[in-house]
Amino acid sequence: MEAARPHATIPSLFAGYDVGNFYDEMFSRPGEPRRPYAKVFQRLASMAPEQFEERRKLADLSFLIQGITFTVYNDGRGTERLFPVDLIPRIVPNSEWRQIDRGLAQRVRALNLFLQDVYGKQCILKDGRISRSLIYSCPHFHREMVGVEVPRGIFTHVCGIDLVRDSKTGEFCVLEDNVRTPSGISYVLENRLVMTRILPDAFHASEVLPVDHYPAELSRILRSLSPRAEDNAQVVLLSPGIYNSAYFEHSFLARQMGIELVEGRDLIVDGGIVFMKTIRGPQRVDVIYRRIDDEFLDPLAFRPDSLLGVPGLMSAYRSGNVALANAVGNGVADDKAIYAYVPEFIRYYLGEEPILSTVQTYVCAKPGDLTYVLANLSKLVVKAVGESGGYGMLMGPTADRKTIEQFRSLIAQNPRNYIAQPVIPLSRVPSYDVPSRRLAGRHVDLRPYCLFDGEKVVIVPGGLTRVALQRGSLVVNSSQGGGSKDTWVLRGEG
Amino acid sequence: MLSRIADSLFWLGRYIERAEDTARILDVNYHMLLEQSQDSYHLRWEPLIVMAGEENLFRRLYSEVNAENVFEFLAFRPDNPSSIVQCIAKARENARTIRDCISREMWEDINGLYHMVGRFNPRDEIVAGPHRFCDKIKFGAHRFHGVTDATLPHDEGWQFLRIGWSLERAEMTSRLVDVQYQNLLDELPTTGTPDNHQWMAVLRSVGAVEAYHRQYHSSIEPEKVAGMLILHPQHPRSIRFSTTEVQAGLRAISGSERGSYANEAERLAGKVGERLSYDTIEEIFQQGLHSYLKGLSDMFGSIGSDIARNYFYYAVVA
Repeated sequence: MEAARPHATIPSLFAGYDVGNFYDEMFSRPGEPRRPYAKVFQRLASMAPEQFEERRKLADLSFLIQGITFTVYNDGRGTERLFPVDLIPRIVPNSEWRQIDRGLAQRVRALNLFLQDVYGKQCILKDGRISRSLIYSCPHFHREMVGVEVPRGIFTHVCGIDLVRDSKTGEFCVLEDNVRTPSGISYVLENRLVMTRILPDAFHASEVLPVDHYPAELSRILRSLSPRAEDNAQVVLLSPGIYNSAYFEHSFLARQMGIELVEGRDLIVDGGIVFMKTIRGPQRVDVIYRRIDDEFLDPLAFRPDSLLGVPGLMSAYRSGNVALANAVGNGVADDKAIYAYVPEFIRYYLGEEPILSTVQTYVCAKPGDLTYVLANLSKLVVKAVGESGGYGMLMGPTADRKTIEQFRSLIAQNPRNYIAQPVIPLSRVPSYDVPSRRLAGRHVDLRPYCLFDGEKVVIVPGGLTRVALQRGSLVVNSSQGGGSKDTWVLRGEG
Repeated sequence: MLSRIADSLFWLGRYIERAEDTARILDVNYHMLLEQSQDSYHLRWEPLIVMAGEENLFRRLYSEVNAENVFEFLAFRPDNPSSIVQCIAKARENARTIRDCISREMWEDINGLYHMVGRFNPRDEIVAGPHRFCDKIKFGAHRFHGVTDATLPHDEGWQFLRIGWSLERAEMTSRLVDVQYQNLLDELPTTGTPDNHQWMAVLRSVGAVEAYHRQYHSSIEPEKVAGMLILHPQHPRSIRFSTTEVQAGLRAISGSERGSYANEAERLAGKVGERLSYDTIEEIFQQGLHSYLKGLSDMFGSIGSDIARNYFYYAVVA
């Protein structure tokens, strides 16, 4: 039996913390916090675990009452679940953020130019920088969009670009682009609100750049797209409805921008004009910030079985009577096989060298890459090119034999549908482990949200840090048990 | 305002009101019956099922009409579309689809109420009796009214909420009076005297006992009670008052002047309002209370569907 210690010290949240073999965002060496984290570390180190636990419960309760939840479908009931927020912030010093900001802006401009080109003159195809077959075989390439002049030439109004810090190099690199209907910004804004209540002193002392101008910026861009004079532009957010996992975000954004949240059944198209059904009769709609996938937008143009969309919407869009954000057909730019070519787009369209690096990507549509991938499945991450949300993925090193063999035959049957990448050892941030009531290193990524107004790219400092709360897990998607953290970009270096 | 939003606000109001009215009636009935003889005990639960309009469903689910079964059925059964938990769930579901149009406080309030209701264990509550549960619902509804009043701009949306809960209240009060009176008449030959307790309970269920005493300074007389619940110009739960509220809401939306109407719902509401303003309780009894109330109920039903036709539904364009 252990004797009671006469001067028992308060157990620390950091007791037993192990930085492991990964880049730890908070500690440069065990017990030695990096400069940007110094104030947060001090505050946490002085906090008793019970006190922290109390604050965490308070935060959870506040999220539940506010209904900040997402819906999971695989349990057959569509249960609402809290998107867990971890109360240890992820911190990025200003100099590093400036570099990221420039890199993202460059990437967004290149992606937009690529979309203009691929649905316009197709110079990049004529110049042979990317093969026609790769473009035309992309399930999200929509021929309906060829020759369409989108308002102000903008395709990528909102992009969520996923970054990870590679533990081997300590540098941020781009993991994937989301240029269709990226979600998550509402968590960025809500997490911030909660954090300022939970750790007000550390927040204040760290001097964090604000994020709450996002809705106003988005609203400004949406208004600028109106085919009628901006003053009386009617802007709406089109949502699939309350059963969509991101419904909370849809209503959040509509509320923050003061625009109407509509569902497909609220809209009608008459004479090539879109109207919404109001209690005073039909009212014209100018701009639709749509959070419905292309395939469901208009049953006349795409999936005829879609009940979410609006019949005739595409023809109204093509005639320029209504603006859509993001543009239709963007999926060709965030296809995971096209990802491998984005550095080339940057050189081709902008004549610049990419500022942010990308992950080595094997495109199974290329015979040489295919052979390599099939021979090295257990070392690679395999992703289906058109999927998102962590679905359709193989984690080679942790997968069992059966799953690997399943993917082998899937890839062989349809190589165009798959890419593979080496496993990136993601950096870690101390995160609260509920069972042990201590902090432990957990892998994170970072999704900044980029708004493009046709001239400049506006990025709210930071973005959504997603964290794999399961020990050892590298999958951060909320549908796969991930959580999020508030991301603090500092005014200085900390 | 989007028609769908107006529709949801209207039903949000109705469901909240139905939950509250059901809770009030359950609670009062239960406590009154504790003072009753065993014989009439079973009899007195019947009217509640009738009032909820779910007799067939009840008979499919239960073999016996007793306090426990009725309480469970009206408060907790998920398969009873008018049970309190279902009303709260549907109120919250309606609120959820229009979160961007209601205040954050309203959403958090109704969402909190929904989670609170979910934490009650029906088994425990049935043992404890309905008071604790019903009280929470009642105050939950009051708080929602208060939060709504204090945080939502009193614009069109607020008017749809107001019309929703007022119309529901008018209908529930007319059903309450009708069912209780019928039930009493059926009993009169055996008991011989009017049952004051029963009427006291009816008054209490709409929170009007004190108001009754202030007005009449007399013992409880069925006709006066019915008169008060139907015709009182100021009591917030009387049919007349509720009808005036519906009328005012409709006029605020359409902008039509007193004495005129812009649509069928307004015409009917105006007609009912006038009748309630000039009828006396004696006239009502001469005509027959049941047929009078039945007439009102039908009118409220028509007003509801005319509101929907006028503001919520769009003919399908081919």
